[in-house]
Amino acid sequence: MDDAQLVARIRAGDARAERALYDQQVDRVYRLAYRMAGDDDLARDFTQETFIRVFDRIGQFRGEAALSTWIRSVANTVILNGLRRVKRHRTRELDLEAARGAASGSRSAEPDLKEKLRRAIYALPDKYRMVFVMHDVEGYTHEEISRQLGMQVGTSKAQLSRARAKLRDSLAEFAGEWAS
Amino acid sequence: MTEERFQEFLRQAAQDYNEPPETPRDEMWRAIQAERAMHGARRAAPWPQRAVRSPWVRWGVGLAAALVVGIAIGRIGGGGLPTQTTVMAAGPGEDAMTTAVSAPYRYATAQHLGQVEAFLTGFRVDSRAGAPDGAPDGATSDARQLLSVTRLLLDSPVSDDQQLKALLEDVELVLVQIARYRGGRDQEELELIDDSMEQRSVLLRLSSAVSAEPGLASM
Repeated sequence: MDDAQLVARIRAGDARAERALYDQQVDRVYRLAYRMAGDDDLARDFTQETFIRVFDRIGQFRGEAALSTWIRSVANTVILNGLRRVKRHRTRELDLEAARGAASGSRSAEPDLKEKLRRAIYALPDKYRMVFVMHDVEGYTHEEISRQLGMQVGTSKAQLSRARAKLRDSLAEFAGEWAS
Repeated sequence: MTEERFQEFLRQAAQDYNEPPETPRDEMWRAIQAERAMHGARRAAPWPQRAVRSPWVRWGVGLAAALVVGIAIGRIGGGGLPTQTTVMAAGPGEDAMTTAVSAPYRYATAQHLGQVEAFLTGFRVDSRAGAPDGAPDGATSDARQLLSVTRLLLDSPVSDDQQLKALLEDVELVLVQIARYRGGRDQEELELIDDSMEQRSVLLRLSSAVSAEPGLASM
């Protein structure tokens, strides 16, 4: 069944077509949501909200892009908006954690490479992080990223390059790992 | 060469960054179905029944007129309106504040805050539930009415009470956002409005302020 047929059936209220579309797309949406959120509850929320919007707005799908691209662009909007809201709270929590550590005089061991990398990726601006995760972690092409995030291919490349440069700076102490 | 090595190293090292577990397909599908069923039920009720716009619009106009007269009397009379000690609840974690505000202002303010609370609660519920297209556009005119009254109160002796003033200023900010809402259910804009309400605990503070005013219990 092609996109047009699937959409037509969903518009006609066919519940099995809805489930078929969900089954086709949910893995990639959830994976990206989880990679970006790092939290199962949030990833579920983002994924669910994505599909609620998709079914709600399926009438607005004009077929100008592939259905999968349209769904993932909805997902990206949901994820980025959702992260914007939770990041504030998380930053506060991390600050409090750091303050508590400093107050108790306890210092954890120097984070290893993986931990440092995790923190460095998390510290990237959300849009850079999204491009980095999509390209370097989930294997999307720049063409796919540009369509899903509504940007030029060149912008996607530039943002990936900036993300890598920031990560390189953050991981400078581990330069021996890739120089050897 | 080093750059290529770094990119390859980064790609490999990042593979386990927030590595997702197996997709909980069926659980999420059930949650989606439940949420959509709830949306459907909410949407079945027409907008005016859910947000009951007209009463506070009519009331807002009346209050605005009363405030203009009240402010004029207060200014002419040198603030000679009878005063009464009142307690307006403060924000979360703060002590209630005792202040002297003249009775008519106190009553008008509490009534206004009650109306704003009802309006914002309705707006939030409907924007989260996905009100029918065009409905939030109607809410913008209500927000403008409430905004006018809020500004009148901010220009009145009510603003001598610093906590009330702070609450009214936060209410003003949220109402400005709603009044400027472009419509068409722009999700990002709705989320910003929602954020403003949450960050400033506007609904909680409104609720505290209203419940601390005994005269409003019968409203």
